[in-house]
Amino acid sequence: MQGFEVLFESIEFLLIAGIVLLLAYLALEAKDIVYAAFFFGLMASVVAGFFLLLEAPFIAGMQIAVYTGGISALIIFGVLLLPRAQDSSLEVLPTGRARNVGLLLSGVVVALSATLAFVFPWYETFDESVVAISQDLQALAEWLWSGHGVYVQIIALTILVTLVGAIEIMKMEKAERLSPLKADFGIEAEPEPETGLEKTEKDEEDVPDPEEADNE
Amino acid sequence: MIPLSWYLVMAFMLIGLGIYGMVTKRSLIRILISAEIIGNGVNIALVAFAIYNPVYSYVGQGLIILVISVAAAHTALAMVLMLMYHRRYHTVDLGVPIAREVHSNE
Repeated sequence: MQGFEVLFESIEFLLIAGIVLLLAYLALEAKDIVYAAFFFGLMASVVAGFFLLLEAPFIAGMQIAVYTGGISALIIFGVLLLPRAQDSSLEVLPTGRARNVGLLLSGVVVALSATLAFVFPWYETFDESVVAISQDLQALAEWLWSGHGVYVQIIALTILVTLVGAIEIMKMEKAERLSPLKADFGIEAEPEPETGLEKTEKDEEDVPDPEEADNE
Repeated sequence: MIPLSWYLVMAFMLIGLGIYGMVTKRSLIRILISAEIIGNGVNIALVAFAIYNPVYSYVGQGLIILVISVAAAHTALAMVLMLMYHRRYHTVDLGVPIAREVHSNE
């Protein structure tokens, strides 16, 4: 019975791994960028399967909520907001050289790290004298919320700082467009491109006032 | 139980795929997706380490929660930067401003 369970778990692992790798590849190579974002969302939700296999259900839930529900939705909204990003015909495909460099680099990283994963005696570094803590959700919640609230506070602060930073960047960009920021940062805004529609003072003088024209 | 090395190999494969995407792609959105794929690989490795080593089980899980939240935050920031890039250069292709600069120098 034990052997059957191990076999079943291994098959489950290999199945999830295959799906994740396929979806990750599709997220990178899908022609349409919107489909790529959808594939990424699917990949993130299948990765949660690994966490369930590892008996970490809270992390699996968080993975689905944040990655699938948050990040991939954010990427899709971003794509929809950027009109030039949606047009896949504008995308420049990698040259053969760039592709080779990428394959070589990722191959080296995967080969070296996989060798390390198989050769390094991980189990000897773990302290086996300590009794394994059960992976139940309630104990984790108690540990996280009552004992180590600092984690939650750091998360809250990080998200707050990011939101403030994002809003501030947007405001800075708007201010830069409206008036040059010479005094504060020593940078000067790029001049607005000349469209030929700007009114000069001379033009304004030449144009007669419509009311005066009517009186005459 | 599945050996730890299987999870690590899986994590490194995802990291390798992400690196491939980051090196070859020129679209900012693809690069962001590649970064997220790398992040997912790192998460798998971290959770596997945390679960297989009982001493750091809860610390590891707490760390993962932190990492996932930071990933969400940095994606939001990256989207803002991408929006600004698009407004300035009217494209999401990384090579275009470089090409324009080379052209203007000539």
